[in-house]
Parts: sequence; C-alpha cells; structure tokens
Amino acid sequence: MRVLRLWAAVTLLALPIMAQAQAQPQTQPRVSVADTEPGYRQIQIDVAVSPDPRVAAYEIWFAENSFSSTRDALLHSRIAVMDVDGLERGAPGENYDYCQVDGLPAYLDADGNAVIDRNAARWSCALTGMVPGRDTWIAVVPVSADGLALVDVDGLQPVSGRTDASDERTPPPDTRPVLYALGSIILSTIVLLVFLRQRDARKGRTRSRLAHVYVAPAVIGLITLTFYPILYGIGLAFTDADQSHLGDEAWVGLKNFVTVFASPGMWRVTGFTLVWAIANTAAHVFFGLLLALALNRAGLTGKTVYRTVFLLPWAIPGYISVLAWNGMLQPEGLVNGVLGTSIDFLAGADSARLVVILVNIWLGIPFMMMTLSGALQALSADMFEAAEVDGVSRWDQFRYLTLPNLKSTMVPVSLLGFIWSFNSFNTIYLMTRGNPYVGFGEPGATDILITYVFSVAFEYGQYGVAAAWSVLIFLMLVVFSWLYLKKTRATEASA
Amino acid sequence: MSRPSLAARWYVPAEIQALRLWLSVAVLVNLLIMALDVVRDGKLWPSLLGIALLALGRLSLPDGQANWKKPVAQLLGAGGVALGLFALAISPRLLYDVWSVAWLVVPCLLLVAWLSRPRVADWAGGRSDREFAERGLARNKESMPRLDVVALHLALLHGLAVVIVPVIWIVDVAVSPGNVLGGAIGDAFTLEHFTAVLSGDSFWTWTRNSLVVAAGTTVFGLALAVPAGYAFSRYQFSGRKESMFLFMLVQMFPGIIILVPYFMVMKTLGLLNTSIGLIIVYSVTALPLGVWMLKGFFDTVPRALEEAAVLDGCNQFEVFFRVVLPLSLPAVAITALFSFLAAWNEFLLALVFNTSNEQYTLPVGLASMIPATGQQWGDFAAASIIVSIPVVVLFVFFQRALIQGLSAGSVKG
Repeated sequence: MRVLRLWAAVTLLALPIMAQAQAQPQTQPRVSVADTEPGYRQIQIDVAVSPDPRVAAYEIWFAENSFSSTRDALLHSRIAVMDVDGLERGAPGENYDYCQVDGLPAYLDADGNAVIDRNAARWSCALTGMVPGRDTWIAVVPVSADGLALVDVDGLQPVSGRTDASDERTPPPDTRPVLYALGSIILSTIVLLVFLRQRDARKGRTRSRLAHVYVAPAVIGLITLTFYPILYGIGLAFTDADQSHLGDEAWVGLKNFVTVFASPGMWRVTGFTLVWAIANTAAHVFFGLLLALALNRAGLTGKTVYRTVFLLPWAIPGYISVLAWNGMLQPEGLVNGVLGTSIDFLAGADSARLVVILVNIWLGIPFMMMTLSGALQALSADMFEAAEVDGVSRWDQFRYLTLPNLKSTMVPVSLLGFIWSFNSFNTIYLMTRGNPYVGFGEPGATDILITYVFSVAFEYGQYGVAAAWSVLIFLMLVVFSWLYLKKTRATEASA
Repeated sequence: MSRPSLAARWYVPAEIQALRLWLSVAVLVNLLIMALDVVRDGKLWPSLLGIALLALGRLSLPDGQANWKKPVAQLLGAGGVALGLFALAISPRLLYDVWSVAWLVVPCLLLVAWLSRPRVADWAGGRSDREFAERGLARNKESMPRLDVVALHLALLHGLAVVIVPVIWIVDVAVSPGNVLGGAIGDAFTLEHFTAVLSGDSFWTWTRNSLVVAAGTTVFGLALAVPAGYAFSRYQFSGRKESMFLFMLVQMFPGIIILVPYFMVMKTLGLLNTSIGLIIVYSVTALPLGVWMLKGFFDTVPRALEEAAVLDGCNQFEVFFRVVLPLSLPAVAITALFSFLAAWNEFLLALVFNTSNEQYTLPVGLASMIPATGQQWGDFAAASIIVSIPVVVLFVFFQRALIQGLSAGSVKG
C-alpha cells in the first residue's frame, strides 16, 4: 500500500516535468535559398517558421558539406526573436547581415542588430562571408531563452546554396604600377651602387673593386622584396583595398584605423596576445635555463641522450607537433586517456587559452635551452672553481655569477623570443583557428593579433584593414622592444 | 633548552638536507596533482590530506635537538604511505594514478626510512660531539653528490616523458588500424596508413612541391648570400656600414607586416600558386640571416691565403672560387641546410600563397588532412613520420653547427 502511494506521489510530481520534457518540439524551420544574388560572398535564404513563444533566437548553421548535426557545422549568426514594439526598422543595406521580415527590412534592437518579430512566419536574410563558387549547406535552428535548441540538432536537413564569384570577379588588376615601382627601385639601387663604386675609385680604394658587384644581388633583392613590400603595406593601410578592389583601390585616409579601433574585441585580442607572448617567453627562458643548467653539469650520465631528446620539439617540424598535440587533446585523445576523462580542452575559452599556451611553451623550450647552454659553456670555469674554494653556496653562485654573466645573452634572446611568440601563427591556427567562437567578425577566444589579422585579410578579404592592423602591430612591437631594452639597460647601469 | 652546539650547526646529515628539498618539491607536485584532480572531477580529500601530511612532515623535520620532531615526522610519513596505498586502491589504477600516488608514497617512505637510520637518529637525538660531526661531514661529502644526481635524473626523466610521449603517441596512431585517436599504446599494428599515404597522389605532389621550393630557395638564396657575405667580410667599401645595417634592420621586422603586401605584390605579378613565388619570398626572408652567418664564417678564413693567391697571379674571382669557397664549404653547407630546413617547414606563407592542392607544400598539405570535420588522423600520423624522420636526423646530426649559426645570426642581429 505504502509503495503504491509513494509511486502515485512520484508520478504526480514527475508528470509536469515529463510534460515539459515531452513538450511538442518545434517544427524544423524550412529554409530555401533564393535565386537572387544579394551581393558578393552572400547567400540569400528564405525561412518559413512556425511562430512559438518559446523561441528566443534563430541560429543559422552552415558547413561545406551536408550535415545532419550542428556538431559538423559552424555557427554563422544568431538572430534574436522579440517583440518589436517601439523598435525601428533598419534601412536596406545598412546592416552587415541584412535581414527582411515579410518583405520589409527587419527591426533593429538597441545595438543595431536585426531582430525578428515574434509573430513573423517568414523571414529572409543575406548571409555574408560565404566562399564563392562552392556549395554551402545551411540550416536554421530555433533556440529557447536558455540557449537550448528546440528541434533535434542531430536530425537537421540543411539545404545547399552557392554564391558564384564569376559574375563578381574583378578584371585582372593593373600590374603596371607595381612593375614600374619595382623597376625604378632596381634602377635607382644600381645607380646608387655605381655612384658608391665611383666614390671608392676616387678615394683610391682599389682592393674592393668588385665589392659592389658582390653585394648588388642581395641588396637589390632585399630592397625590392622586403623594403618595397613594407612601404607598400603601410600605404595599403590607408586605402580601401579588399577582394573586390584590387589594383584600383582608393585613398581613404585613416578610415581603416578607425575601423580597427572600433572593432569589437580589439582590446581583448591585444590583451590576450600580450599575455600569450609574455607567458611563453617567461616559461621558455625559465625552463630553458633550468634544463641548460642541468645539462651543463659535469659528468652527468646520459647527457647526450637527454640533450638529443630535449631537442626533439625543435627538430620535429612545428606544424606536425602542434597538430599532434591537437589530436592528443581531443576528447578521445591521449591526454584524456591518461587522465581517465573525456574533456574537450579546446571547447571552453579559458581551457583553450591555457592549452594553446602550454603547447607553445612545449615547442619553444629547446631553442632557449640550446642558446643558454651555449652561453653557459662559454662562462669561465675558473670563476666557479674560485667560488667553490671560497665556499660560496650553489644558489649564490647561480645568483651572483651565472645570472649576471648570462645577461648579455638572455636580454636579446628573450626579446627575440617575445617577438617570435607574438608572431607565432602556427600554434594558434593549427590548434584552434582562434576558436572558441565569440561572434561573427570578432576575434575568437584564442585569437592572437597575427591570427586575427590573417582572418581579416584572407577570410574576410579586407586587405586595407589588415594592413592597418599590421602597421599597429609593428608599432606595438617597436614600442615594447624599446621599453624592454631601455629597462634592461637601466638595470645594467645601476648594477 | 640547550642552544645548538657548533657541531650541530655545521653538520646536518645529507638525508635531512635532501628531505628538506624533496618534501618541498613533493608538496608543489601534489598541488599540481590536486589541480588535475579537480579537472578529473575526482575526490579532493586524498590529495588535500596528502599535501597536508607532506607539508607537516616537512615542518617537523628534526633540527638536531632532542625533541618531539622525529617521531612526529615518522608518524606523518607512515600516514602518508598508508593514505597513498589507500588512494591507489580506490583509484582506477591508470598509469597516471600510479604516478600521482608515487609522488606521495615515495617521499613519505624516504621520510620514515631515513629518519630511522642510526646516524640520522643519533643526530636527531641531539648528539653533536666533534668526532660524530666530522665523520658525518666526510660522509656527506660522499653521499650528497649521489643524492643530487638522483634528483637531477628524476627531474630530467619527467621532462623526457613530456617530450617523448607525443612522439610515441603519433607513432601509435600511425600504426593503429582505422581512424582512431585513443586506444592503448601498442594494442594493434597495421601499416595501412603508410600504404595509403604512399600510394596516394597527394603526398607525392606535396613532396615534389616542397622539394622544388626548398631546393630552389637554397640555390637562389645562397647565390645571393655568399657574394654579399664575402664582400662584407673582406672589403671596406662605401655603403658597407649602411647596407649591413639594412640587413640587421630587416631581421627585426615581424613577418606579419610583410604578409599582406607580399600577397598583394605576388598577386599582381601573377606569382600566386607557383613555386617561383615561394622560392623568391623564402630566399629573401632567409637572406639576412644567411648573410650574417656567412660573414661570420668568412671572417675565420685567414686572409694570408688569399694574399698568397693574389701574389701567385689569381684575380679576385679566382681567389674567391678557388681559395675561399673550398675552404668555407662546410660553413656554406650549414647555411644551405638552414635555408633548406626553413623552406621545408614554413607554413604561413605557403598557406597564403598556394590555394590549390596541386601547389600545396608538405606543411599545408599535411595540415589539410586535419580540417574541422572528417579528420584523417591515421594517415596524417603516417605522413608526419615520413616527413619528420629525415628532418630530425639532419637536425640531430648537425645540431651544434645549426645552433652556432643561428645564435651568430640572431644575437648579432
């Protein structure tokens, strides 16, 4: 009897919960791709939905292949659904992802993002950033206010669409300005070298008759292919160069720099880049020095074996090591196997950040180890013997003899390491591609400046903006290097 | 309370000194283990208790006076051993569990065992006569280096594991059947991935592209760098200082500022998706380092030889090709190896410049095996091993020369 009553109570309690769990799932929104091409790299989708008070937003997912689960697709955008009373409609073409509801431009929320009327049964959007000339599969998922999908996310039926660049392709760029520039640079360099040669002849330096001929190829190569591109890049930062304006870009003044400073996540990505570079450099120097000291010990058995194995992260091509770590950190990978867990380390923003930093530390230690170990071997052994005789402790020997004497190596090498870390594209790109996703057009959670600039330039095709970023990054590095050298010089002078 | 005698202050048994250090290190390592336990969602109390026992054991190490410390420390040590064995019993007993428990049990065992050695026990009991201390010091001199070496090897072995495990893993993935990431190491063996990679066209296309680009870079780069390095080393000429400064300056420019303009220049010149574009860019980016390295090497070739050759009637070209170049051939070879490896491993520029599978170099090709979806881990691992072995062998074989060259270039620059 008591069991029965208990059963009844449990059932009664559970009923509402079950009812909620089994609530009618939303019907899957029907997506169709419009024939019209709204613009370059854009696909227009029309979506038929069944209005439902539970829907708080629609997520648009896409992939290069057909998919049935959101796990195999990328999130393109999330469009909020709300009551539109008191909101204003946007103007056509005003928004990045231009959306329409029932044939009229969508309402905009306070931040200027398109929102969809709660009662709308049809809406359409122009999806930007699509790769031209390739089929793209698109599905729309309604989600509730707490972010849960209201349809089965493993049973999606995406539709395919494509945008063809062929009718948008710009005429082949005019190469003459570049060729003229290169030609005149080469000519003027040759003239300069001939002039210098003449001056030497006048001064009577005859031994160096051929010196200018010897250096000419290298100097011309350097000027045409390094200095000219740098100047070209600086110039590019002030133009509207992008995928559709190449060769006929127009001067836009400081607009690109304004875009950079106004871009969402600018300070976040700069901050993370600094954290990334400083953490990496500090760890590289610390562990590199530790290993160098350990391997510098006289008569250590197996020194050659240790040295050779510790060299491996440097000897193995970097992209291979990074991809290997990527595999080891997957939920079914080795790290989880060792720990007996199945964590997706690269899914959460903080854990992904920590993990990419650790992987990059792993990669960079051998270089520091070998450089510092070379510097250690160059220190005079007599000095340490004398200290030993005087009874100086091991720690004091390190503190007052090794460190000050290593400083002349450590200062430039750590600056170099900082610049390398600052620009180390491979680790981030091959581990996470900057993901976890934060927002469309925004740097991802693990993006550093260089990977973000890469996506601005080669995924969004905004060369001018990317050039502006590059100039700013360069200035940051110059300022940092200058501060660092000034600081270390100052301590040198006071020491 | 008696003040410690002179002998007690001068003499601390090697075991106690070692325990002072090792127990502190063990506390730190166990803190790390506790952090990992949080990640694993495991029980926290064993690691917390372990850390407490180790820390208290460290605090109650005997100080050479007869007091309560020795029995307490030993008791704590015994507690640590028991706790460790218990934690191991309730754990899934993976290799990781054994390792983490070892970091609790071994220090505790040493604590118990070493404190019961007669000499240490005597010292802890307050014995401090002169003869005892002198003998002890003599013994310390013998055993301290031994203990140091053991600790050093222990630390180095941990480093070794961190370095070598990814290598073992990738070999395991390469020889495991199917497209699996996990599985026990060495549970199955197959060469299917190697045959798949070697019989496919893509791998050979990528290898050919990489070879063309790397060889082209080496030849073209050296053709530019050798004469320039020689001129900088041998001649005083107008513009020498300025152009050397130019080469130094370029090394300081971060690659990113050149990336976009390079792409634009190559695009306007129609050199995207060609090997030539990459060869030109790699040669020029490797140029400053090559010039600086070669200048350093040429500086070490004695001038007297050249002067003798000039007296024998050689002209400048003959001096260079017949005397200087043969003498510095090893150095030139190292510079060549440098350019070759740099071009062989470069990823970013190759990714930006080449967009078709036909023009991929190995780095971009291998990375294309691991896209966002449909990753072919087994094939990737097999291809990685094939690509890495020659590079690693070259690297290990020439490590000293490469490092000297690089530090010469980088530190001066």
